[in-house]
Amino acid sequence: MKESLLDILRCPLDKHELELEDATYDESADGDSDDSNGEDAAEVVDGTLVCAECGERYPVEDGIPNLLPPDMREESPA
Amino acid sequence: MAAPHDRSQDRADRAAVRDTYDQIATHFAKTREYAWPEVESFVTDTVGERARTDAEMTPVGLDLGCGNCRHAELLAETGHFDHVLGVDVSRGLLETGRKRAQEREFDVDLCQGDAAELPLAANTISAAVYVATLHHLPTQAARQASLGELGRVLAPSPDGRALVSAWSTAHDRFDEDEIDTADGTGFDTTIEWTLPGGETVDRFYHIYTPEEFEQDLAASSLEVLEWEVSSGNCYAVVAGAAESDA
Repeated sequence: MKESLLDILRCPLDKHELELEDATYDESADGDSDDSNGEDAAEVVDGTLVCAECGERYPVEDGIPNLLPPDMREESPA
Repeated sequence: MAAPHDRSQDRADRAAVRDTYDQIATHFAKTREYAWPEVESFVTDTVGERARTDAEMTPVGLDLGCGNCRHAELLAETGHFDHVLGVDVSRGLLETGRKRAQEREFDVDLCQGDAAELPLAANTISAAVYVATLHHLPTQAARQASLGELGRVLAPSPDGRALVSAWSTAHDRFDEDEIDTADGTGFDTTIEWTLPGGETVDRFYHIYTPEEFEQDLAASSLEVLEWEVSSGNCYAVVAGAAESDA
């Protein structure tokens, strides 16, 4: 997930902005970048997106953010 | 806005659709190799000319219900967008999209999300394709909510454009007798998917009558610009809602 996507991604519940926490970045994505850079090209591999309003937490796993409403996140019982 | 309804039951129904596609994702994606001609026409005729009409806006394309990203690929190939976003409820399908993007060398940003509760900011999408997805939402409330969500995220009229399609009772495989002619609405059904090993998986569909499709669009904030029934599917080219501060 490109970090610049935070400009358009929102909490699915209340549509407020999301803040990225505990991010790890793909070191190979843009040459010799390091974890501290905030460039648009930075590729987030894992982390958590936190709604600035309601505090709901959404995982980024292996590069793909899961922004399903929280009660759709777990696999439903068969 | 949709009438109040049982949100948690609705979400559980949509999570079940997600589970279905997670289960069949790899095989399903293999059978969805080619873009649909109706989508190619929309991208060629409508997207190309409109993507940069508003110089203030970062052009973002959206494939909602992207599956293996065959239509996100068309959007990416136009070169008009800074981002092309592929959103799907199924992580399994998103993985097939990632694989296709790597193999065919196009750029797509993937996001797991629900079409009835989109995780996107208002007025940010310059062009969207919402193809063969609406009919998988299990309730009318969810389907209408998703059209409202599309209207919310599309750039305000006249800039944002989307192509919406759904499977229709006009398709050859459906019997006219199944249609409730009294109120003109379509019907719910399940269509079996057969995996290579012979296992079958039921998939939910709401089959729209053309009238119902038109009514649901008219009831949404979207503005219908063009409309057709083609190859058993209803298609509409729509514009975004009027400017709002949502």
